This record gives sequence, C-alpha cells and structure tokens, in this order.
Amino acid sequence: MTTIKVREITKKFGSQLAVNKVSFDVEPGEIFGLLGPNGAGKTTTIRTILDIFKPDSGEVDILGGKMTEEKKNWIGYLPEERGLYQDINLEICLNYLARLKNLDAAEASQRINSMLKRFDLYDHRKKKVKEMSKGMQQKAQLIITLVHDPKLIIIDEPFSALDPVNTQMVKDLLREERDKGKTIVMCTHQMHQVEELCDRLVLINQGAVMLYGDLDKIRRGYSGQDVIIHPLGGLPADLPGVEKIEPFNSSFRIHLNPQVSPQQLLKTLVERGITLERFEIAIPTLDEIFIQVVTSKGAAQ
Amino acid sequence: MTKFWLVFKHEYLRHVKRKRFIFALLSIPLFMVFLMGVPIFAALLSTDRRPVGYIDLSGLFTDAQPLSENRNGLFSNNIKMLPFTAESSAREALEQRDIQAYYIIQPDYLASGSVRVVSEEAVDSSIHRRFSRFLLSNLMSAEDASVRERILQGPQMILRTLDSDQKVDSTHPLAFIVVLFSGVIFMLVINTSGGYLLQAVVEEKENRTMEIILTSLSTDQFMAGKIFGNLSVGLTQMVFWLIMAGVTGFFALRTFPDLANLGINFSFLVLMAATFLPAFVMIAALMTMVGATATEAREAQQIAGLFTLPIVVPFWFIAVIMETPNSALSVGFSLFPFTAPLTLPLRSMVTNLPAWQIALSLGLLVLAAAGAIWLASRAFRLGMLRYGKKLSLAEIFRTRS
Repeated sequence: MTTIKVREITKKFGSQLAVNKVSFDVEPGEIFGLLGPNGAGKTTTIRTILDIFKPDSGEVDILGGKMTEEKKNWIGYLPEERGLYQDINLEICLNYLARLKNLDAAEASQRINSMLKRFDLYDHRKKKVKEMSKGMQQKAQLIITLVHDPKLIIIDEPFSALDPVNTQMVKDLLREERDKGKTIVMCTHQMHQVEELCDRLVLINQGAVMLYGDLDKIRRGYSGQDVIIHPLGGLPADLPGVEKIEPFNSSFRIHLNPQVSPQQLLKTLVERGITLERFEIAIPTLDEIFIQVVTSKGAAQ
Repeated sequence: MTKFWLVFKHEYLRHVKRKRFIFALLSIPLFMVFLMGVPIFAALLSTDRRPVGYIDLSGLFTDAQPLSENRNGLFSNNIKMLPFTAESSAREALEQRDIQAYYIIQPDYLASGSVRVVSEEAVDSSIHRRFSRFLLSNLMSAEDASVRERILQGPQMILRTLDSDQKVDSTHPLAFIVVLFSGVIFMLVINTSGGYLLQAVVEEKENRTMEIILTSLSTDQFMAGKIFGNLSVGLTQMVFWLIMAGVTGFFALRTFPDLANLGINFSFLVLMAATFLPAFVMIAALMTMVGATATEAREAQQIAGLFTLPIVVPFWFIAVIMETPNSALSVGFSLFPFTAPLTLPLRSMVTNLPAWQIALSLGLLVLAAAGAIWLASRAFRLGMLRYGKKLSLAEIFRTRS
C-alpha cells in the first residue's frame, strides 16, 4: 500500500497559484525528500496532504484513503511554523499535546519522560516553554512529533535551529524510525541532509514538480560529460575529445565534448600508459542540481 | 468526544489555576463590600440615636401612645419621643445634649398642621417622617388598629392585564436596582469570559500551534472544547459571585428587613436566565471570530469592545424604557439581540410583556447565537493559518475552506 498518493493537486490563494498539478507517491518505509526553494509550495503541499487545506482540484490519499480523525493519531507532524504553548511548563504542554494524539495519561507521561531524558530536556521539564532556547523548543517539538509512535512522520525543516550534536542525534533518530518501518517525509532545502538521508525525492519549484524519483538515478541523470582524474604523474595536454581541464583539489576535472564517452577517455589513458590513482564520473551534488533546476526553469523536462 | 474533554479541561484549568483569575474572582466581591460597606459604616457612625422631644400646645396629644414598633434591624431608627410640658425644659435638654431636637406642635395644629422644629444641627429626614407618623397615628387613635395602619401605609397597587398573568408591583422600586445590578454582573461575566476566549484563540495563533492541533483533532471538537472551557471559567466566576451575593443578601436581610419583599419573582429570574444565556454564547462566539480574524491580542481586544457596547445601550435609555415600556423604541430594543438581554427583564418589571414578544425576542437571540457560532467556526478555519494577515468579513462568507 502506497503511504501517500498525491494526484494533480492544485491550490490557489486569491490569484496566486501556490501548487500547480503536483503528483507524487510516498512508499512505505522510505525517507522521502520534499525539496524546493523558499516559497515553492512545499508547505502548501504538506498542508494539503494533511487535510489542513482542501485542494482546488486533484486528490490526496493518505494511509490508504481520505484523511479521518482516527488517522490523525497515526501521523506525526513537525510543522514549519513551530508552535508550543509558551505560557505553560514544558511537561504540561507535552502531556496535553500527546494526549490529543489519543495516548492515555499514564502512557503519555511515561513516554514523554523517557524522551525528555533522551533529548536531554528532563531537567528543564518544569520550565515554562517561553523560557527555553530555540534549540530546546525544537527538540520539544520533535518529542510531540514522535511521542505517539506514528506510522507516518512528516517533518518540515527538522534541522533548523539545531547544533551539530543535536543534528546528528536527530539524523540517528530518523534512521532508527525508518529501520522500524516508519515512513518519513522530510521537507527541506538543506540538500546535503537529503543526500545523506533520503531514498527518493520530489523537487518543487514555483508550485510545479521539477524532479521526481530515486535520488541516485536523478544524480546520474544529471551527471554530464565530466570526469575526475587523479594521475600519479602529469597529464598530457593533447587528450582527444577533451574540451577543458581544470584543477580540482589535487586532481583534475575534465570536461569532455559530447561525442566522447568517459569509457573512451579511460581507454585512451590506459593505452597511453598513464598511471591513475582515481578515475571517477563527476556526479553532481544535489546542491548543484537544485541550483541548476531552480535557476533554469524547466530544465528537467 | 474524549478529545473534546481534554481541550475543555485544559482550557478550564489553565485559567482557573492562575493567580490572575483568583485575584479577579475575589476583587469584585471585595470591591462591592468596600463600596457598600464604607457608606454603611459611615452612616452607622454618624447616626444620631438620641431621642427627640415635643411640646404639645394644641392639646390634641396629651396622652399620646408611642408608635408600635414592628421593625428591628441595624438601621431602623426607633428614636424615642419624649413629651415636654414647656419649651424651656426642652431647650435645656437640647443644650444638655440629652435630645437632638424638639418639635413644638402649634395650637392651631388641626387647622394649619403647623409644627416648629428646634435643633442644633440638621435632623435626619427619617426622624421628621417618623414624627409625622407619630402625630397621624395618634390623631386616628379612635380608629380600629388595622384601619389606622392601612391609612398610614396607603394602598398597594398591583397591575394585572387580561392577556397575561404577570404582575407589576408599584411599591418596590428597589427591584430596578436588582435588574441594574444583574445587568452589570452580566456585563462583567461576558467581558471576562469573552476576554478569556478571545485570548485563548489569539494565543493559539500567536503560539502557532494550529497545525499541531489540526492534525490531532477536528476543529469542531477543538472549538467546542475551547468555547465551553472558557465559558465555564466565566460561569465559575458568576456562580462564585452569586454565592457571595447570596451570603451578602442573607446579612442584608438581617440588617434591612424591608428588603424581604422586593417584588422579584421567579418568572423574572427565568426570563433573565433565558435572555442572558444565548446572549452569552452569541458574544462569546463573536469574540472567537474576532480572535480568529485579528492578528494580535491587543487589536482583538479593541474590536471586541464593539460587541459589548450595544449590550449597555439600554442603560442609556433606561428612563425612556421605564416610562414608556411599550413604545416602539422599547419593543425594538427587546427584539434586537444585542439589547434584548437588558431590555426584556427591565420591561417585565414595569409592564406586562405579550407572549409573542418574549417568544420572538428569545427566538431571535437563539438564532443570532447559532449564526455567531457558524461565523466563528468558519473564521477560525480560514483565519488561523494566516499569520500576520487579516481576514476580511467578506472572505468568511465567500471562501470555501
């Protein structure tokens, strides 16, 4: 069963088209990246999936059908607009929100205590929420997202406001949840986090899908004619089919002309007896793909 | 349903447990005690309880009987009347400060009714009234006691009309004070719980908790929990104040036995409750709507004032309503949902309300309350995710959520 099916959803706010015929699927047990620059329509898409907004057209299936009150208990959501009741103490706030996810009083308090300890917040549980630092509030928000052991976790910018130690902890936590069979949708524009964590992704820009599919396949699809070579000796200047050679760290980055494949270059190098320490197809980073897609609209088509 | 109770409990306890709430709860009764207690205390201190004297020059009151005393409270001034034979001895007593004043009943009293008063300081008018009663009752000493009493009291008129069994009693002006007092209490409770509600909705927006809430339970459950939770805070206040008022009333009755027959009857209280409750819900829902459309608490508070203002409008026209309770203005006020809660009970004190007016007025109030709730829940769904943006009234009606 596909966890989330989004079919051609469109949502307008006044005359502004926020989401335009967006479609994608999220499969069970994967970490799925929902990417896009600021204002691309990520949050609107998520709110539509969660039935906070009704789409103007199109359909969303979540956990095998329409959103119901019962399904809300199986979903953990970390919204982009972080929100906790500021004026009450952390423990009361967490317990109230956990109980709204249908946990009984004893279970809620037991789970919250163990999570507070894991997140290093246990000593702060009697503090008012507004007295805590941004990072602490973010961790508290993550507790709310995960406390009821949801089947589907949707997190919007999970690493903002976290220091490297806590970022690592959250990453470990997300991997742990995936290993338990949870489905995770991660919404972000921090590409290196996506590269590290996500299996598949969709990239939205100006309300429309630009890229969609398996992370590795997308990156390979964007690998052009570039090769990275680290020879032990020097590199001859007259290699056939080479358009440009530029130093890349201690290696060289070679731009091939479109008629020459990397295999042909490798063959030539071997024939010339050049000793190689490294020969690598230069797969672009997601950052590079992102910038390329976003700055030249429609590059994916 | 269980989530509704969670929200209800959370909202209720959040306010009730606060120091601010307890302070507000106690401050009103303390204020009232202070407001009423100080003048009473001052009056007690300044009341002159010395007897008054009289010299009968007319010969009509030679063996006058003292007034029969049927009142015994803190303020009943059973001042003694001492007969003097000559003005010189009365003046001496006055100078000795044994009496506070003396009356000289003139020889032609029967024809002219003339009585002279001599005192060092102004004498309380109640003592003059008492002395008049004393004279009158003795003039009529030949009459039967019950006849005498009736003549002194005057008739007690009760107005009844053919189409209603309501009674209007002419002799208890204090009942108006009760209506006014209830109106003020109503305003206070509406303002405080409306304020709590408004704050509770705006807080949700300011804390940006809406998305968490919307993905945990339905807006209907959430709104119902919030509205009833916060209204219960107001009701708690009201019940507490009513208990305090009851306790005060109990002591007041011991102090002022006259208050016992105010002319407040059960149907009046029912009418009051029947108009106040839907009005309460209506204002609360409108406050919620304002909370959902405004961007910050302060702004919302200002707009909310607009809703409570029309409630007090009948107070400005109170003289008109009392004098012409069946005029177009009075009837209009009792039909308009905002002014009905004060006008209807007020009019019921002075006239017989036709049944259709009561039914129409209550019907309109209930409709207005239901409409306000509808508006509020729409505004809430539409407005809550617009941080920093306003929601216009037109959008509430037009947009599909």
